Amino acid sequence: MKKWQYAATGIVTLSMMTPLLATNSFAQSPSVSLQFLQNKPEVVNEWNKLILEFEKQNPSISIKQINPPNVDTTLQADVAKGQVPDIVAMGADATYILMAKNGIFKSLSGTPELSHVSAAYTKMLESEVGKPTPYAIPYTVNAVPVLYNVTLFKKYHLTIPKTWNAFMAEARKIKAEGGTPFYNGFKDSWTLAVPWNPLAANEEGANFFHQLKAGSTSFMKANMKAAQRIIQFSSFGQSNQFGVNYNDANTGFAQNKSVFYVQGIWVLPVVRQANPKIKIGSFVFPATNHPAKTKMVSGVDSLLAISNSGNSAKEAAAMKFINFLLQKKNAAEYANIAGLFSTVKGVKPSDKTIFPLQTYIDQGRVVDFPDHYYPPAMAASNQYESVLQGALNKKQSPTSILQQLQSLYQQSAAHE
Amino acid sequence: MKWFRQTYGYLLITIPAIGLFFFFHTYPALQGIFYSLTNWNGFGPFQFIGLQNYIDLFQDPQVLHSYLFTFQFTIVTAVIVNVLSLLIAVGLNSKIKLQKTFKALYFLPNVLSVLIVGYIFNYIFGNLIPQIATQFHITSLTQNILGTGWAWVGIVIVAVWQGAAFNSILYLAGLQTIPEDVYDAASIDGASTWTTFWKVTLPLITPFITINTVLSTKSYLQVFDQIVAMTNGGPGESTQSVSFVIYSNGFGGGELAYQSANAVVLLVIMVIVALVQMRILHSREVQL
Repeated sequence: MKKWQYAATGIVTLSMMTPLLATNSFAQSPSVSLQFLQNKPEVVNEWNKLILEFEKQNPSISIKQINPPNVDTTLQADVAKGQVPDIVAMGADATYILMAKNGIFKSLSGTPELSHVSAAYTKMLESEVGKPTPYAIPYTVNAVPVLYNVTLFKKYHLTIPKTWNAFMAEARKIKAEGGTPFYNGFKDSWTLAVPWNPLAANEEGANFFHQLKAGSTSFMKANMKAAQRIIQFSSFGQSNQFGVNYNDANTGFAQNKSVFYVQGIWVLPVVRQANPKIKIGSFVFPATNHPAKTKMVSGVDSLLAISNSGNSAKEAAAMKFINFLLQKKNAAEYANIAGLFSTVKGVKPSDKTIFPLQTYIDQGRVVDFPDHYYPPAMAASNQYESVLQGALNKKQSPTSILQQLQSLYQQSAAHE
Repeated sequence: MKWFRQTYGYLLITIPAIGLFFFFHTYPALQGIFYSLTNWNGFGPFQFIGLQNYIDLFQDPQVLHSYLFTFQFTIVTAVIVNVLSLLIAVGLNSKIKLQKTFKALYFLPNVLSVLIVGYIFNYIFGNLIPQIATQFHITSLTQNILGTGWAWVGIVIVAVWQGAAFNSILYLAGLQTIPEDVYDAASIDGASTWTTFWKVTLPLITPFITINTVLSTKSYLQVFDQIVAMTNGGPGESTQSVSFVIYSNGFGGGELAYQSANAVVLLVIMVIVALVQMRILHSREVQL
């Protein structure tokens, strides 16, 4: 504990000194300087590029990017200390919802910038927070499909599976022929959420969380198939799936170690970095046996929020930056580098791999991540993923998984 | 001048120290106790809820499991560390070649940051050992043990590897306080090496056993860095220590007040454990 504190004190002292040094050495310092927190380590360079361009156009504003390793926890600690970054780009996760509910972010209702982006995803943000005003602008959206290695896919003579049974039949075939169907990075417990979200979302239905809160349903009643299927899914993972972390799983898939990889599309740039030659295809995770009813899990990957600092000059400068980011050229550039879909109207992805998913987004056949609606203590620090990880690792029964989730839900809801 | 030095001189030195200590240590601790009686989530409004947090703690399976894990981990690690560092210290205290070099070498792990050591071992457990095991066909070791039910063993190994360094220095200091003539007397009486160790060395370094046990128990009850670096509490909740739960649920899960209560409980437990240890071990100390 001590060493952490020393490190933290050191960092705080340094970061307090840096602006002092900067203002001393440069006489013409910018009049507004903003702290910009974002949660994606893989796009640090792209953000710096956009910031530089923005600063060139607006010499009176300077923006400093912060990208700590554990953004959710950092942000909550920042809030507790009363030092919230001016602009935040993060996922629409439990931490965001908690912050928005507690008035940390500025309400953006009525801002003209909202008209640039897809109204459906703005609605999604509103319904997550449970208030009729948007506290952020959706910037990019992700999707959780099944990625496949095109070369291996052809080698095993597979076709795109439309149903869960067909999907599992292909996995069985690959395993029988000595291959690995899925490469999983289950040592990092959050990666369990990736298959869990489409399975749970497609089974439990839209009213699940209202009913759960009211006590008229439970995880046992609503998620039995999801629990059975995630067990089936993990039985086709590589043998050391609980000893491999997310990064190593990305590398493993990049090195042709498995046919399929169930991971969000945000992983594409990382996989290609590990193996530029790999050919990747994608299809929607066939969570049910009714292809027409299957929805794709897609949520806001990066939203742009402005913190309620009370300093109108800072807030105006932050809005100016957001306006700059929403310009079609910049939005397209960022979404392509990050490998995501842009919410800005008229911007299409340039990556052929994710083309098959575009129709689902266009037709609105999407469903939000169910874990965005779990109580914060259940979702914010990998709690329910840890339950899944522990249960699958110990090969527990579907009922036992669901009982643990239900008891975790009750514990967490009590401290909400 | 003498009058000044005797009264104000001390105050001049002590008051700033007390002030700093109070501001950076006592005040946050009192704040934590205060928040433990509320339902605060880290920001926003809050209400007093009395001892409700404390009552809930004793019914929370995750918290109870973290205490069980922490106690088991502390007992295993503290025992191994103390036995091992006493052995190392005895070895380093004997007349061997390159004695100083070995002392420096054995102290080296203590200089490294726990996090860095954790990440290095993470790689060793995750990549190195499974690769070697696969080549030599040792099937039991081809899995990353941090992803199995044996993950706690991995954490114990790292904690011992690093903890033994500091404790053996303390034991070494203790061994050097024993005067030569006691050993001479023992050898004249015809005592074997084992008897000498058991009957002479050990009783004379009991004060150091006390301090080492108390120190290592205290630090292992707070185990945190190794877990963050190596398993992040997993697989499942199997390696979540109390400090880990306080940090991750308190800051990440919006349970700041609830986990403050947990921190207060941990503090009380640590004080009790330290007092009991002092009591038991002090009674066994001998003076020359």
